[in-house]
Parts: sequence; structure tokens; C-alpha cells
Amino acid sequence: MSTRLLFALLVLLGQFGSANGATPDCSRTYTLAFHDHGLLYSAETNAGIDKDVADELIRRSGCKVTVSLMPRARIWQLIESGALDFSLSGIANAERDKFAGFAWYFSNKYYLLVRNDSGVRNLSGFEKNDALQLGVIRSFRYSESANRLVDTLQNGNRVSQAGGLAPLYQTLMAGRIHGMIIEPFDFPALEEKKIREMSTIIEFNDPSVPHGLIMSKKALSVAQQEQWRAIVNGMRADGTMRRIFEKYFNPELATALTNF
Amino acid sequence: MNGSLISNAATRVVLALLPWLILAVTLGGTWFTWNHERETTRKALRSQFDFALRETVSRVEQRVQGYEQMLRGVQSLFATTQFRNRAAMHDYVDTLQLDANFSGIQAIGVVEWVPAPRKSAHVAAMRAAGFPNYAIDPDGLREVYAPIVQREPYVGRNRMPPGGDVWADPVRRLALEKARDSGTAAISGKVKLKVDTESVAPPGFIMYLPIYARDKPRDSVEERHAQLIGWVYAAFHMSDFMASLYGNQSPGLVLAMYDGTDADEASLLYRSDGATASGEPSHRAAISANEYMVVANHTWTLALSTHDIFEARYGRGMETVTAVAGTVLGLLLAWLTWLMVTGRDRALRLAEAMTEELRHIAQHDPLTGLPNRALFNDRLNRELARANRQHGRFAMVFIDLDHFKPINDTFGHDVGDQALRQVARQLQDCVRAADTVGRLGGDEFVVLLAELSDTDAILAIAEKLHRAVHQPFIVSGQELSISCCIGVAVYPDDGTDALSLIKNADDAMYRAKEAGRDCVRLCSSTP
Repeated sequence: MSTRLLFALLVLLGQFGSANGATPDCSRTYTLAFHDHGLLYSAETNAGIDKDVADELIRRSGCKVTVSLMPRARIWQLIESGALDFSLSGIANAERDKFAGFAWYFSNKYYLLVRNDSGVRNLSGFEKNDALQLGVIRSFRYSESANRLVDTLQNGNRVSQAGGLAPLYQTLMAGRIHGMIIEPFDFPALEEKKIREMSTIIEFNDPSVPHGLIMSKKALSVAQQEQWRAIVNGMRADGTMRRIFEKYFNPELATALTNF
Repeated sequence: MNGSLISNAATRVVLALLPWLILAVTLGGTWFTWNHERETTRKALRSQFDFALRETVSRVEQRVQGYEQMLRGVQSLFATTQFRNRAAMHDYVDTLQLDANFSGIQAIGVVEWVPAPRKSAHVAAMRAAGFPNYAIDPDGLREVYAPIVQREPYVGRNRMPPGGDVWADPVRRLALEKARDSGTAAISGKVKLKVDTESVAPPGFIMYLPIYARDKPRDSVEERHAQLIGWVYAAFHMSDFMASLYGNQSPGLVLAMYDGTDADEASLLYRSDGATASGEPSHRAAISANEYMVVANHTWTLALSTHDIFEARYGRGMETVTAVAGTVLGLLLAWLTWLMVTGRDRALRLAEAMTEELRHIAQHDPLTGLPNRALFNDRLNRELARANRQHGRFAMVFIDLDHFKPINDTFGHDVGDQALRQVARQLQDCVRAADTVGRLGGDEFVVLLAELSDTDAILAIAEKLHRAVHQPFIVSGQELSISCCIGVAVYPDDGTDALSLIKNADDAMYRAKEAGRDCVRLCSSTP
């Protein structure tokens, strides 16, 4: 009896071990795409949180991964079709869950950045003033109430689409849009002071939203996704992820973002 | 009884309001349907427009990507050969066979990174490579230079002398720096291409890819700075670039492209047909949107707006039909209801009017409109009853026109009839409202002088009547004058019932006739 129990335990442990420990299948070259987005990735410097996460992920996997830069909308399109294997810092929704798997590595809240001269003090104030335009990045989704605000304003023809953060900040400063939805890593290093001076931050009353490695379900089997997820979990467990975030944020914020 | 009166009144109010209620309900329903239809159309148009905008952005992005891929090929060439291998570059571009699909490209070229200390060596090397007059343009001392050293395909305008320093132009320099720092493609802002020597040239832009020293680390911005040796570039006319997009633009859309996020004339790169000089649509667009695209490290503003054709093509046009049909139906329905609820009332009113008319016909002489014998008898009986009750007096006056028959015979019945109508009018003009003038038939008239007690006054009125008839009048151009005999009987002196009064008045009139006509006779005044 006890021998059989011990055997069963060993088998279970073995499976557990293999699921976590097995390196991914490197028999083909994988593809990974960044999108230009504040501290996550800056195309101008080819650096950022996502770049560091990707470098470490690729190093630990031992696989060859071709990295490129694309608009976020194109990334989701290619993840869905299976032409692209990975991207980073993705958030899930019911639609995306159909074609993408995720391996979470940080979590954060969303904020509405509004021009001071728009006179907006709260979220409903922005929604009620028909003259105010919101700028969003095409295909971006946010926390629940932020999504609701975007959808409502979209119906009222009050949303301007952009391909990245840079033009949104420019149009915000020029007064052609009056608000945009941001995350903690969205302030550009350049002109940060100028933006902070002319704007106010309003927090969306939603829980933090987990962000993670995006894996195409068409391109990667469930078992393969599990192997890549194990690498991300390993990076979180041994503190690597927190250290990457500490390069960009103060230790408290880095811990808050990566402990969820 | 009272209750049923109230409920009757309530029913009448409800019935009176019913058509208005139905009109309000149908018009309200029409408005609701129209509004719903309009909203549906608006949503359908909006979603079609959003789709077109997404498509257009995607087509531009893919085309930039296509050109970038082509330029990466040129970049890759220098991973296999020396940077200054002009022949390899020439052969490579020649082999690309840039066909109509790449018609946006004006030139593919190489820019060399020349810090000031290497300038003279660079100039010497270029002069030795077959350009004896080579010089960096513009002239002058600067810390760094980035002259164009080769343009391919080497035909036409691309044969212009190399040496143009692109680093000297801030717009180009920004893109050169972005490409150098990121290691990826970067496109410039709006420029006039160096191959465009005309004073007015179509808007252009340039895509740069950096070339770094081979086998050296280039992971950080600093390393990429240190290892830079030059760039490869492709120069475009925006209009040609837009013409080379894959797929079709949805009809009825006006498209404009601007450099950066400012949608003004200075930064206008391209506009499609149907846009005005400022790039704005030539009419007030139903839907318009700006999208701030980021392509190859650069922002373009894509301004899309709808034209009438778009609305006609994708709108359903049912709002007007709904509004007109609903309003017309509502009005018809309300009118129909009004007809139905007021039908009984209107029928009753019509019957009353007809009855009144019949009564009038039955009691009046059709020729003169005076009361006939029946109505006159009725009035006489009433006056008898009154006088009897109040011991009052009144008079009966009989009037017979003298020699009336010859008028009829001489002038015809028409003239006779007109004479009778004239006499009737004159008699009526002489009496009070309480008195009654009647026509008994032929040329006989009768007057009931009510509530008169003084015989002299009665005679005065009779004389007045006599004179009135005597007034000459013109009928069909003939002046006629008619005389008459008048007989008067007074109640109660000459009779206390209708029959005797009539008889006595008639007798008095005959006596007047016998006395030679044209006079008045009072019944009681005769023996």
C-alpha cells in the first residue's frame, strides 16, 4: 500500500517537475513583436521593460527568436492569425482569450490624464462634456470602467485614434484632444515635466489589471504555452522580474507592480 | 339622470379629443421610428466609416512595411560586402527590378557618416572613385557631415552630382538620428527631395536604415553611435507612394495625409480628389476623423471624411420615407377618426338645416319670399289670441293691385313677377318688425298690423302702404306705376275671429274697388 502511494507521488512529482522544468521546443525560430509604448519599449532607444523581459525570456528558453516592432493593432491581428508567436505586456478580454494565452508578469491600474484647462475633476465630468475628445491607441483595451468610457465616447464620435503614445501626447499638448488613458509607465522621459504641469491624473476605480506575455494559440500548443509560462513564472519567482522593473521605477512601485 | 348627463358629457369630450389623440400617437410613433431609423443609419455609416479608416491606416502601414522590407535588402547587402562597394550597390538595385509596385521610390541611395576629421579623406576617396569635382554641399566647416555618396538607379535625375549633406537639413537629420539610435527604419518629415530641382516640387519623404560596422556590438544606443558608418535610404514622392497602395479606397471618402500631428497646409503631404486646397473636404462632411499613425518612428496624420456619395451608398435613406409616410398616415388616420366621431353631429345639423329650409318653403311665397296663406293664418291666430287675452286691438289690411293683369299681358310674366317682388319690398319697408306682410296669391297682399289701438294710426299706415305701392319703379327699362285698393278691418270692431276679419277686410277692399279704385276703405267707416 505504502509503496504504491510512494510510486503515485513520484509519478505526480515527475509530471509536475517536467511541466515546470522542461525547456521549450526550439526546433523552429519564433517571432516576437514589441510595440512602442513609453517605458515598456522605446523604438528610439530600442530599450525598455519589454525588451529586458524578452531578452531574458529568450536567453532562458535557448531558442532563436526574431524580434520586430509593430503597431499594437497589427500585433493582435498577427497573434490571432498565428503568424506571430509572442508579444509582451498584453491584457486579456473575452475576445482575446479565444486566440491568445497569457503568462502574467505585472499588474497595474489605469488613469485618465486630462488637460487642466478642460476643467474636468472626475471621470463623469469628462464623459458629460461633449466638447472633450479622448485620444486612444488603436486596438488598446483597458480596465472595465476605462473600456466603458472609451466605448461611450466612441459612439459619440469623441475618440481620436493613434498608432502610439507620442502623437497622443503631442495632440494633448496642442489641445486637439483633452484626455488620454495612461498606465504608470506611459510618461515619456522627454517632456515629462511639461506634461505633468499642464495635466491632472484621475484614477479609474477598477482593480489592477494583470499584463503578461501574449502567446498565439494558433502557433503554440497548450503544452508549449505552458513551457513558456513556466519560464515567466520562474523569472517572477527568482526576483528577476522585480529587478527589471526596479531599473525603471523606484523599488516600492516596482514591487507594487510585480507583486499581485 | 344627472350621472348619465355627466357621463354623456365625458363621452363627448373623449370623442372630440380622440382624433387629436390619434394624431399625437401616430406622430409620436413616427418620430420614434424615424429617430430609430436615423440612429440605425448613423450607426451603420459610422461603422462603415470606422472600417474604412482602419483599412486605410492598415494599407498605408503595410505599404511602408513593404518599402522598409525592400530597403532592408539593401541594408543586408552591406552585411556581405564593403560599404563603399559602389558596383555591388548598383547591381543590387538593378536586380531589384523596381517595377510599378515600387513607383513611389524616386531614388535608393547611400549616405556616408563623415565626422569632420575624416572629411578630406572622404572627399579624396570620392574624387578617386570617379567624381573629380566631388564636394560636400553645402560647403563650410561642421562637426559632422552625412553626404549622399550614391544614388540608384543611376539614370535621369539620379545622375546629379553626389555630395549633398543631408545632416545639414534638420528634418532629415532628425530621421537620421532616429534610425541611428534605434537601429530600425525611420522616415523623415515633409521634405523637398534633392533630385527635385524645380522650385515647386511635390511633397516627399525619405526612409533611412542605419549601416553599422560589421561584427561589432550594437546593443545599446552608445554602441550604435560608435559603430555607425552610414545609412541606406529610399526617397519618395508622397503622391506616388499613395498611388502604390494595395487595395481600393472606399468610394465617397476624402483622404488627406499630413506630416506630424498638425493638420495644416504647411504639413500637407497628400490629398485625394474631392478635397479643397487646405486638404479639408469641399463640403461639410457627415463623418470625419483624424488618425495619428506611427510609421517607421514617425507620425503622420491621416484625415478621412465622408462625401455625399458615401452617405448615399451606405446610408439607407429610409428616414425621409419613414417621416413622410408616418406623418401622412397619421394625418389620414386622424382625419378618418374625426369624420367618424363627428358623423352623427354633422348629419343632425344637416337634417336640421334641411328641415328649416323645407319649413320655410312650406310657409313662404316662392316668388316674393313673403309669408304665404298658411303662415299668415298662423300669425293671425296668434295675434287674435293675444288681443283677446289683453283686450287689445289690431288691424287686417287687404291690398289688391289695380289693373295688374294688363301688365302681365303687355310686358310678359317676367316683368309682372318683378313688379310683384318690388311691391312686396315696398310694403315690407313700410311696416314694423312685429307686423306681417303676406301674399295670398295673384296680385293680392295682406298685412297684419299687430297691437294697434288707434284707428287714425291704422288709417295712416294704410295710407302709407297705399303711397308705397304707388311709387313708380323701373322694370326692364320701363317705368311702371301701380295703384291699389286697400281694405282695412279692425279687431274687435270689425270681427272677433279670423273668418269675419278676413271677410270684412275683403269687403272693404271691394268697396274701394267699387269706389273707382286707387283708394283706402275702412270696414267700420262704411254704412
